Amino acid sequence: MSFLHIENLSKTYTVDDSTFVGVDNISLSINRGEFLSIVGHSGSGKTTLVSLIGGILKPTAGRVLLEGVDICTLDDDKLSEYRAQRIGFMFQFASLLPILTARENVLLPGIFSPDTKTDNAKVARDLLEMVGIGEKLDSYPSQLSGGQQRRVAIARALLNNPDIILADEPTGDLDEDTEAEIMHLFEEINKKKGVTIILITHNLELAGKAQKKLRMTKGQLVGI
Amino acid sequence: MAKISFFSVAFKNLKRKTFRTGVLVFAIALLVSLLIFAISFTVSVASSLKKSSQRLGADLVVVPVGARGFAEEFLLESKNTSFYMPFSIIEKVKKIEGIDTMTHHTYLSSISGLCCDIVPTRIVAFNPATDFIINPWLQKSLGRPLQLGEAIAGAGTSENLGLGLLDIEATIFDNRFKIVGELEKTGTGLDHALFMTEENLNNIIESGKSPLKKGEISIIFTKLKKGFDPDFVGRVLEGEIPEVDVVARSGMGEKFLNTLADINKIFLLTTVLASVLTTFLVWAIFSAIANERSKEIGIMRALGAKESHIVKLYLIEVLVLGLLGSIIGVLAGTYLSALLAGSFSLLKNISAGLTVGQQAAIALVGLFIGTAICVAGAMMPINRIKKMEPLLVIKEE
Ligand SMILES: Nc1ncnc2c1ncn2[C@@H]1O[C@H](COP(=O)(O)OP(=O)(O)OP(=O)(O)O)[C@@H](O)[C@H]1O
Ligand SMILES: [Mg+2]
Repeated sequence: MSFLHIENLSKTYTVDDSTFVGVDNISLSINRGEFLSIVGHSGSGKTTLVSLIGGILKPTAGRVLLEGVDICTLDDDKLSEYRAQRIGFMFQFASLLPILTARENVLLPGIFSPDTKTDNAKVARDLLEMVGIGEKLDSYPSQLSGGQQRRVAIARALLNNPDIILADEPTGDLDEDTEAEIMHLFEEINKKKGVTIILITHNLELAGKAQKKLRMTKGQLVGI
Repeated sequence: MAKISFFSVAFKNLKRKTFRTGVLVFAIALLVSLLIFAISFTVSVASSLKKSSQRLGADLVVVPVGARGFAEEFLLESKNTSFYMPFSIIEKVKKIEGIDTMTHHTYLSSISGLCCDIVPTRIVAFNPATDFIINPWLQKSLGRPLQLGEAIAGAGTSENLGLGLLDIEATIFDNRFKIVGELEKTGTGLDHALFMTEENLNNIIESGKSPLKKGEISIIFTKLKKGFDPDFVGRVLEGEIPEVDVVARSGMGEKFLNTLADINKIFLLTTVLASVLTTFLVWAIFSAIANERSKEIGIMRALGAKESHIVKLYLIEVLVLGLLGSIIGVLAGTYLSALLAGSFSLLKNISAGLTVGQQAAIALVGLFIGTAICVAGAMMPINRIKKMEPLLVIKEE
C-alpha cells in the first residue's frame, strides 16, 4: 500500500446550472518521501487537485487515502488535524494575515495544533532566517514585497513539520536566485527529512528537478 | 510579539477598525444602560412597596369606605391626605371573628401652624396603650414613651424641618410642642410624619384650631388570630360594617402596582425593541466582518484551524466587545438611575432605594443580557463562514 493513494478522484464545480470540470477521474500513487512535480496550462486543474489532497476541498467522487485512511470521510476535527499536522500548504495566491507580523504569521498554525514539546518561537525564527527574512521578523505583510510575503508563507508551511508539502506555484513571483534557493530548500527537506513534496510550477526547468514529473490537461494527468 | 494565542489574534482583530468597534461598544452600552435603568426602576418601586407593607406589621388595615386608595398613598407613598371615620367603628371591628389585637391612628394633614416655613407634614396621633406600629420604633429611638406636649419626628421629616437640632419647640395649631427626637428610618410613608399621642391631639382639638372633630379616627390596624385568612376576614369585615374598606397586607399597594405594571410594559417593550435592534446591528456588523475576513478564515482553516477554533477566535472578540459595552452600560445605567431617581415623583414619594445586593444582581443581569445579545448577533455570520469549504472562501473575494 502506497503512502498517498488517489483513487478515481473527480471534482466538478457547479455554478448556477452549468458545471466545470476541475479534476477528472484521476488515480495516482505517491510514495513516502517522493518529490513530484506537476505542470500544466492555466485552468487545467492543478490547484483543484492539490486542494483535494490537502483536504480543503471535497471531491465530487473518488478517494484520497493517506496511509490507507480516506481523508474524505474524516469529520471536521480529524480533517483539521490532518491539515495541521500532516500537510504544509503553500498557496498560489497571497495568503498572509494582514494583522499579523511575519513572525506571527509563521506561528499561526501552531495555535491550531498545540505541541508543547517544540519551541515554536525558535523554530519560527530559524525558518524565517532560512528563507531570508531574518531581518523582517516584525514587519507586517503590507511592509513586505510580494516575494518576501511568499517566503514567509513558505516558512509558515514548514512550522508544524508536515509529512507532505503541497506547493502551488510557490516561487511564482520570485527572482531566479531566490527561486533557486527555495528549490534547494525543497530538495534539502525532501532528502534530509523525507518530506513528500508535490510541487506545481510553470517552470519546466524546476519541474525537471523532481523525481517524478506529471502534466495536467483538462483535469487529467499524463506522464511526461 | 514572539508568541501568539487566540487572545492576541482576537485583540489584533479588534483593533483593526477602532471606529466600528467603538460604535458597537457604544450601542451595547446604550442598550444595557436602558436595561439597567428599567429594571432598577421597577424593582426599587416594587420592593419598597413590599417592604413598607411588611414593616407596618398589620394583617388587615381598616379605613373609611372609599379611602382605600388614600390610605395606601399615605402609608406607602407618603402623600399628604386625610380621611376620617367615627371612633365607634373600633367596637364594631372588635366583634368580628378572627381579630386578635387592634390599634388606630388619626392623621392630621398639613401643619402650616408650625414655626418656620416648612414643607407640609402630616401628624400621626396614636394610642400608646394599644399601639404595635409606632411603639417598637419609639422604643428603639427614644427608649421611653412620649409625654404630654412632646412629639417625635419621622426620619424623613427631620430633613424637612431642618432638625439637626433636637429638643426644638414647635407650634402646632397653636399648641406648643417639644420635638424630642427622630425615629429611625422605616422605609414606609410614615417616615414623613410627626408623631404624638392621642392625648396631645385631643388638646389640639380642644383648642379648636384644627379642622378635626373629637372622636374621629383615620385608620385601624389589626392583627389576626392564628389560622385566620386575611382575605376571608377582610370580606366578612366589609360585609358586616358597610362604613369601612379593608386592605389586606398582601393587597397593599395594589393600585400602585397596577400603574407600575403599565410602566413595566412600556419598559419591556422598549428594551425588547432595543435588544432586537442591537442584535440586528451586531449581526450586520459581524456579517460584514465575516465577509471581509472570509479569506483569512479560509486560510486559517487550511492551516489546520478547526471550526471550533474559528468560533473561539471570534467568540473572544465578541465577548470582549460585549463585556466592554455591558460594563460601560452597567455603570452608566446605575448612575442614570441614581440621578433620575430624584426627578421622578413616583420614586420620590416612596422610600425607593436598592440594596447593594439588588444592584449587583441587576448589574449581572445587564452584563449577561448585553453580552448574550452580542454573541447571538455575531455567531450566525461566523457559523455560516466556518462551514464553507476552505478553498472556496479563500478564493472568494
Ligand atoms: N470555484 C470555482 N467555480 C467554478 N469553476 C471553478 C472554480 N474553481 C476552479 N474552477 C474551474 O476549474 C478548472 C481548474 O481550475 P484550477 O484552479 O484548478 O486550475 P489551475 O490549473 O490551478 O490553473 P492556474 O494555473 O491558472 O492556477 C478551471 O477551468 C476553473 O475555471
Ligand atoms: Mg492554480
